[in-house]
Amino acid sequence: MADWQIDLIKVVFIWVWALLIAVVMTWVERRASAMMQDRLGPNRAGPFGLFQPLADGIKLFTKEDIIPEKARKILFVLGPPLFALPAFSAYAVVPFGDKIVLGGKEIILQVSDVNIGFLYVLALGAIGVYGMVIGGWASNSKYSILGGLRATAQLISYEVPMGLALLTIVLLYGTFSLREMVLLQQGTFLGFLPNWGIFKQPLGFIIFLVAAYAEANRVPFDLPECESELVTGYHTEYGSMRLGLYLFGEYVNLGTLAAITVSLFFGGWALPYVDMSKFLGPVAYGIASFTVFFLKQAFFLFLFVWVRWTVPRFRYDQLMGLGWKALIPLGLVNLFVTALLVQLTI
Amino acid sequence: MPRRPVVKKEYTLGERVYLVEITKGLGLTWKHFVFNIKASFRKGPHTVPTCWQYPEDRREIAPIFRGAHMLMLNEKGQELCVGCGMCAKACPAKCITVKRGKRQEGEEDKYAGKTYCSTFEIDMLRCIFCGNCESACPKGALVLGPGYELAEYDMESCIYNKERLLANYNEAKAEGKLKPPQKPVPVDAPPAPKKKPAAKKGAGASAQKAKAPPKAEGKKGEDDAAKGKTEEKPAE
Ligand code: SF4
Ligand code: SF4
Repeated sequence: MADWQIDLIKVVFIWVWALLIAVVMTWVERRASAMMQDRLGPNRAGPFGLFQPLADGIKLFTKEDIIPEKARKILFVLGPPLFALPAFSAYAVVPFGDKIVLGGKEIILQVSDVNIGFLYVLALGAIGVYGMVIGGWASNSKYSILGGLRATAQLISYEVPMGLALLTIVLLYGTFSLREMVLLQQGTFLGFLPNWGIFKQPLGFIIFLVAAYAEANRVPFDLPECESELVTGYHTEYGSMRLGLYLFGEYVNLGTLAAITVSLFFGGWALPYVDMSKFLGPVAYGIASFTVFFLKQAFFLFLFVWVRWTVPRFRYDQLMGLGWKALIPLGLVNLFVTALLVQLTI
Repeated sequence: MPRRPVVKKEYTLGERVYLVEITKGLGLTWKHFVFNIKASFRKGPHTVPTCWQYPEDRREIAPIFRGAHMLMLNEKGQELCVGCGMCAKACPAKCITVKRGKRQEGEEDKYAGKTYCSTFEIDMLRCIFCGNCESACPKGALVLGPGYELAEYDMESCIYNKERLLANYNEAKAEGKLKPPQKPVPVDAPPAPKKKPAAKKGAGASAQKAKAPPKAEGKKGEDDAAKGKTEEKPAE
């Protein structure tokens, strides 16, 4: 197999995988939330209601596609893809496994090991917000524009702490590549803890997690959507598959963020204390590493759902206060301390 | 009661950091999650405790449930209704239409009384299921039964005619869901004399005495409500 063929397979695989995760996540969100609230959730379509996302997809596709009369047509159409595509693209740098040997060829389980790995992720996250802002602006409706505005403000306030948290990670590992970071997290730390980012950077992890929730517009920071105040915020005027794309993009986004969290702070595809490559065959090792990565990612995906149905939404001023008065100073202090420690130990 | 002043709660550091509290909240939702997941693996109907999965899993209704009306038959299979129209009078929603017919020769095994209702219609769209018709009926011929799936595809079929009401009875009988025979209303002498003086005294009566009559009335049960009203009227 030529290299480009392998690349193509990887791209298609990760694309389908991302889609699959998003589809299943819509189901998980609804069933798990139901279970947390002593309800049942959708359980009619297929076993355990597993075909519900499918039914929803069919429904969204067959709905009338309405573009409001006063909307800016081109921007209105552009909004949803602009939101969903970056979310998918961010998967490109996620190292979803170590390596697998197929047909005598060693294949790295990552679409491309870009050396500026997560700068790329951050950039795409910022582009995704354009989808919201443009959608909100183009709809020509007060709720949408307010949602879009909030999305902008929220992004500006939370990109900063997120960047600061990531900067400490860069200082720690001395690389931007996600794959190298995962490789640097093997072994143990202080002799008994797994050598994971979370144990070296607990504060950075918390800041990153909070900022990630804000990035993904998840409760408690779902201000751009905010059903109780803004109908549904930036996608109020959208219907049919355009709305579907927004909702879908959100879940793909969650998948990406969970994957980034795992590879930055939780040792990526590696099991703690156990080196799987020693006793597993090359093919089995590839599959096992992928499975481990997926399980860790699944936990964080579930955490997104879990937190959503536990915590109420922040008020707008609380959101801004938390961002500027708590997270950014904390991030700065954390950066300073980390820089000091790194300087002293090298 | 004097109003307590509003004291703004000072939050401790742990509460202000918020993460600890969130963890507590997560614990709570997790408890519910695990409980419900476990419950959904139980065998049998009605697994998640708070949810009834309606078509498969029907709610047990109380024996005195007020659902769709039924026209009752007695043990000999005769229609009890005499077509007097008391139910139509009592109905606050004015949704009952009764026409009386005279029993002919040879129809003795069909109708219990000398007269019967030749038409009997209840407009279920207007009915409020108050049960006044049931308590007004002197023959116990009209009873609100256990049926509660009353949705229809057009308005006409929401007007229940006599056949339908009789069918309701037969259905309920076949399912064994008829109301248990009601106890004869005790004609309790002692509360009655007490009641009258209390009512006569009117505003001058002490609070305790004024409370007494409604209690006595309540004991007699809902069936007697209509009678109670008529008894009270002269006293008032
Ligand atoms: S239940 Fe009430 S509203 Fe309905 S028919 Fe009887 S008296 Fe009328
Ligand atoms: S149902 Fe009862 S109250 Fe109504 S007409 Fe018949 S006998 Fe009279």
